[in-house]
Amino acid sequence: MSTLAHVISAVVAGVVQVGVVCVGGPLLLGLMRKVRSRLEGRTGAPVHQPLLDLRKLFAKQRVSPEQSSWIFPAGPVVLVATAVAVAAISPLATTHPPLGQSSDFFAIVFVLLLGSVFIALGALDTGAPFGGMGSSRAMTIGALAEPALLVAILAMSIPAHTSNLPALVRLGLVHPAVLVSPTRILALGSFLVVILAESGRLPVDNPNTHLELTMIHEAMVLEYAGPDLGLTILGESMRLMLLLGLLVNLLIPWGVANRPGALLFGVGIVVLAAKVAVAGAAIAVFEVFTAKLRLFRLPELLAGGFILAVLGVVTAVVSR
Amino acid sequence: MSASTYANVLELAAGLVIVCAVVTLWRRSLSAIVKTLAVQGIALGVVALTLGLHQHDDVLITVGCLVICSKGALIPTLLGRVLASEPKSRETSPLVNVPASLVGAGALIFLAYGATAPVVDLVGTTPGRLIPLGFATLLVGFFAMVVRRKAASQIVGLLLVDNGIALVAFLATAGVPLLVELGATLDVLLVIVVLRALAGQLWSRFGVLDLDQLRELHD
Amino acid sequence: MWAVMVLAVPAAAGGVAATVAWKRWVGWLCTGAVGVVLVCGVVLAAQVVNKRPILALGGSLRVDALSAFMVIVIGTVGVLATWQGVRYIDNEIASKRSSARHGTLYAVLVQGFITAMLLAVLAGNVGVMWVAVEATTVITTFLVGHRQTRGALEASWKYVIICSVGIAMAFLGTVLVYLAAQHAGAGTHATLDWTSLMSVSHRLNPGDMRLAFALIVLGYGTKVGLAPMHSWLPDAHSQSPAPVSALMSGVLLTVAFYALLRFKAIADGALGTAFPRALLVAVGLLTLLVATSLLLSQHDYKRMLAYSSMEHMGLIALGAAAGTPLAVAAVLLHIMGHGLAKGVLFLTSGEILHVEGTSDIAQVKALLVRRPALGGVFAFGLVALLGLPPFSLFISELNMLRAEVQVGLGWVALITLGCLVVVLAAMMTYARRMLFGARDDAEPVHRTPAVVTAPLIGALCACGALGVLAWPLDGLLRAAAMVVVR
Repeated sequence: MSTLAHVISAVVAGVVQVGVVCVGGPLLLGLMRKVRSRLEGRTGAPVHQPLLDLRKLFAKQRVSPEQSSWIFPAGPVVLVATAVAVAAISPLATTHPPLGQSSDFFAIVFVLLLGSVFIALGALDTGAPFGGMGSSRAMTIGALAEPALLVAILAMSIPAHTSNLPALVRLGLVHPAVLVSPTRILALGSFLVVILAESGRLPVDNPNTHLELTMIHEAMVLEYAGPDLGLTILGESMRLMLLLGLLVNLLIPWGVANRPGALLFGVGIVVLAAKVAVAGAAIAVFEVFTAKLRLFRLPELLAGGFILAVLGVVTAVVSR
Repeated sequence: MSASTYANVLELAAGLVIVCAVVTLWRRSLSAIVKTLAVQGIALGVVALTLGLHQHDDVLITVGCLVICSKGALIPTLLGRVLASEPKSRETSPLVNVPASLVGAGALIFLAYGATAPVVDLVGTTPGRLIPLGFATLLVGFFAMVVRRKAASQIVGLLLVDNGIALVAFLATAGVPLLVELGATLDVLLVIVVLRALAGQLWSRFGVLDLDQLRELHD
Repeated sequence: MWAVMVLAVPAAAGGVAATVAWKRWVGWLCTGAVGVVLVCGVVLAAQVVNKRPILALGGSLRVDALSAFMVIVIGTVGVLATWQGVRYIDNEIASKRSSARHGTLYAVLVQGFITAMLLAVLAGNVGVMWVAVEATTVITTFLVGHRQTRGALEASWKYVIICSVGIAMAFLGTVLVYLAAQHAGAGTHATLDWTSLMSVSHRLNPGDMRLAFALIVLGYGTKVGLAPMHSWLPDAHSQSPAPVSALMSGVLLTVAFYALLRFKAIADGALGTAFPRALLVAVGLLTLLVATSLLLSQHDYKRMLAYSSMEHMGLIALGAAAGTPLAVAAVLLHIMGHGLAKGVLFLTSGEILHVEGTSDIAQVKALLVRRPALGGVFAFGLVALLGLPPFSLFISELNMLRAEVQVGLGWVALITLGCLVVVLAAMMTYARRMLFGARDDAEPVHRTPAVVTAPLIGALCACGALGVLAWPLDGLLRAAAMVVVR
């Protein structure tokens, strides 16, 4: 195959991945709500309800608080933009995404972090008390979760000798023994804790709460309405899908296309959807049985995640 | 057993031992901590069993089974009895709070890695490389004994120290001679029995199991 | 045969005590059994001085001059302590504090305790030695808590927790020594036998041995009462029944030190003398300074004696650090002298506690005029303990200091002397308060039964004779020192 064909197929793959994440994110949210409703004995909204919500929100007029600056509308846009960028270059359905060389795990984490920072800034921008409270809480959690995540990535990259994300997934495909090494397991355990914290799921934050005082993430987006709210919801759901997708691909890489080809790529998309759906459903089931932790106990959970990552590094260094 | 499976199982079991040690620092509920200890005991037994199967060493296999029985079942049961004598069994106010002690544990783990470097160099085999994990378990146990204030937590810390030492012993020398091994296991069992009896007496006579209240003797 | 008897006789006496209800003759039987141990120790010593070690039970028991010497020390202090033990149980039962069942338990545990210590010094295998030392912890826990008061239970809790951790460290150290032996060419046939460890000691891996010896000093050091793991010692020694305190302070500490000496010989072979010496100097000085500073503010005479034990353990650690044959012989003589003097003092303090009903220094007055015999023994015991001539502790301290100066540890000797002077001043002050004063005319002069004072006076005489003559131990001491010095 010529170089041009390579480039075209990579670009197509990237575009398809972005599309899948854009549609899949809201569907994942709907699925998790559906599972939760069923377990609680309710019928619940259909799985595609978030998509319908988004359509309705995007059709509305834009409203901004009077005192706010350009930061306020920029927040959701940056959130979605960073999610799209990450979705394009991550090894979700193939280990050869466009710009795969740049798809460094550390870089991806910081790009996603940029989105969180902008949402927090947007919440501060309005000067409303709940927004500020939510931002400060979210940043506290972020400050505790990021070190854990970075150390977890370090742990995974020691045996692979690289922090390139497609290479990490490929390593799992080629040497399945890596998948059951304590390093990978501990690092992914830490990664899971960070995902729960960063995407505002139980036991860190209750996404369905209506009590402003207990809110973390919801408090930050309280002032958004119409298309801005729609972008926020879309961006957050895409991030959840991305993080879960990366987690399951690092945990169970089978199904991810290791060579170029439309068929393999198609299989990769379907398998990815299935794996993420299962993981999302599992989190939803977990949430039914879990209560939200007190805010002051959160450092314990995140320190636990951190120490798991540290252990991952130690086992990696030890068993080298 | 193939070489890579052997190394994998060994790494996993040794990793589980140190993870359990950290989990005991993380949890507050003493009954959960005792369950974690049971898991740790079983993981320790699996290390001995794996080594025994790999080296075709019947003695080591026997020791592994013994460890699973004693540390995985017997000692946790005994500890459970201690907890039963204490109604509110939660570690409420350790001297160092949980996040700080977890970070401290992280530092200790690296310390263990540094301290055991000469031993690892000396052994130089697959199990030998995992020795720092055993040493780290020991240090975490030591740390737990210093910062925890409940009688039962101190027993747990002592058991962590002991399990860490046993892990180092298995990995470094494939077990010390059987007689010494049996003596050591028996001693630990006896110490637990002694501590249980003491805790029972303290509780029934004075209603104290919080070591902060044991301050009668001092200078 | 004699070596087996050393273990079998006290164990059998314990068995008898377990099967019959407590009577006074059971107590005397136990004393007799320990007396037999002492006799066996002397016979063994005569057999092994300057000869090959005796092996028994297929090599699991090994008697050289050092072991035989330790058997004699255990036997001597053991006779004193079990002799007074009979009176202790009588008093406890008479005052309705405990029942005959407690008497039985006490007698069995004391015999078990003595047997375990004997096993520790006779074992030819450092692993078995470890098991025996750990066994002493388990057994003595019940003896420390025998009086069942809150203080006693607290002391035994601290004792068992701290000592178990310490001894666990020593186990790890033993494992690492075993590892080094495996890699020193012995392969899978490596053993923990002392003989074979000594024969390969110069080939043991230095990096591994450095970690191992540090762990062993920390671990056995806990049982010796060396800082920084000493905090159990004053509590346990002050709360135990007096005969148990005498045994723990007089011999248990030094049995643990015996283990340390054995490992130091192996470490010297593997690492040269510099590292073991530096380590022992560090812990020894720290112990000495901690004990001295805490001795300055004591209110309880049993705690005072306990801190004095720590001080003496610091002294012998420094003596062992010097490591010359002269120093080690002096250390061993000091072990004997300290065992006798401290045994006498703890037993006397037990009697004082019984008749005065308090262990507070401020509430005991004018002992010399109110109870001349008891006060006299206490006074002479203190003189012996403080290392004044003619008692043997004077000679041993002098020689340890001389050896320290000889190997270039003059500054250590200087600090030691300073500490000794401070300790002397502090303990003399306490002694003055307890011993001197005027008697109420209404109060009669109390007589202390000869059965109490006779063995104590005998022990003090022995301590004095050793100080003047050094005979009959001198040959044995030299031979024993050569076991661990090359």
